[in-house]
Amino acid sequence: MSDLRLDATQLDRYSRHVIMDEVGPEGQKRLLEGSVLVVGAGGLGSPAIQYLAAAGVGHLGIVDDDVVERSNLQRQIVHGDDDVGRPKVESAADYVHRLNPDVSVEIYETRLTPENVDELAGGYDVVLDASDNFATRYLLNDYCVLSGTALSHGAIYRFEGQVTTIPNREGSDGPCYRCIFPEAPEPGTVPDCATTGVLGVLPGTVGCIQATEVVKLLLEQGDVLEGRLLLYDAMDMSFETVELQHNPNCPVCGDQPAIDSVGDVSYEHTCTIDAD
Amino acid sequence: MSTDPPITVDIKGEEVQELEREALGPDPTYADALAAVDLSPHEVSVLVDGRPVPEDQPLEATELTVLRLIKGG
Repeated sequence: MSDLRLDATQLDRYSRHVIMDEVGPEGQKRLLEGSVLVVGAGGLGSPAIQYLAAAGVGHLGIVDDDVVERSNLQRQIVHGDDDVGRPKVESAADYVHRLNPDVSVEIYETRLTPENVDELAGGYDVVLDASDNFATRYLLNDYCVLSGTALSHGAIYRFEGQVTTIPNREGSDGPCYRCIFPEAPEPGTVPDCATTGVLGVLPGTVGCIQATEVVKLLLEQGDVLEGRLLLYDAMDMSFETVELQHNPNCPVCGDQPAIDSVGDVSYEHTCTIDAD
Repeated sequence: MSTDPPITVDIKGEEVQELEREALGPDPTYADALAAVDLSPHEVSVLVDGRPVPEDQPLEATELTVLRLIKGG
């Protein structure tokens, strides 16, 4: 760790962190020196970006190729009415700049692909998956497993959310996303928020849980959701944890993985090995 | 009278259902168990002891956990 020191303004800003033994000035330095790539500046990405920036995570990357639409504003709270029509990455970066001058932001107004994922995600301490499609989810999982990058996974559907954490650290034996869901479903078989709707506050809860996991990873404190899938049901107001095991037949992290590069996979349909 | 234990299908986010093995026909697969609870293998993953099982494999376990694939963000 560098000799980064907290100045008086930072000691004030982060005083509720610094006072805790689990964080302290050293932990706050870790956060300020930390870097997180948030993929998706929508429902999950909005609260995650807000809390990571507020916590003083020093460098945020934000990936999204969409522009803000009015129908986003019911849940994508990093954007405002005046942002309609603007690129989401620009709107989100503006929010961060207003919130915390300690945080630098790199924006990528593009869709993540096998060709650009290393250029965009390489070098970040943690990747937070706040995407809204299986192609990006499987690509991020495979890239993070292969590169040893920590990954926070979150997803939402109507009133329900799922969160898990894949630290991908040395000696880690927890499952990855493909261990649980080896292949993406055929296109059109799983509904999206645009067709089924989503409770506006739902991604707030799920995105905040993802931000919590990322902060713990950067602090190296607490127990993350490794080997556990947290299920949240807003209608019942219930949480349930499903214990998961590493899958020895997993195509990316199993005993004899078929995937050793994201270039091996066609991410357009079921995210399986390219037959060519 | 059947001596086979029922198949417990815990569909996360929904309810737990019990299936009689005999009702699934001869040599049932995990896909047959999913079909009996009106689910398609395309939209869920079936876990046994925390690991997914291929839906075309013979149904051997008696306790299944079913997780929905969701993509919204």
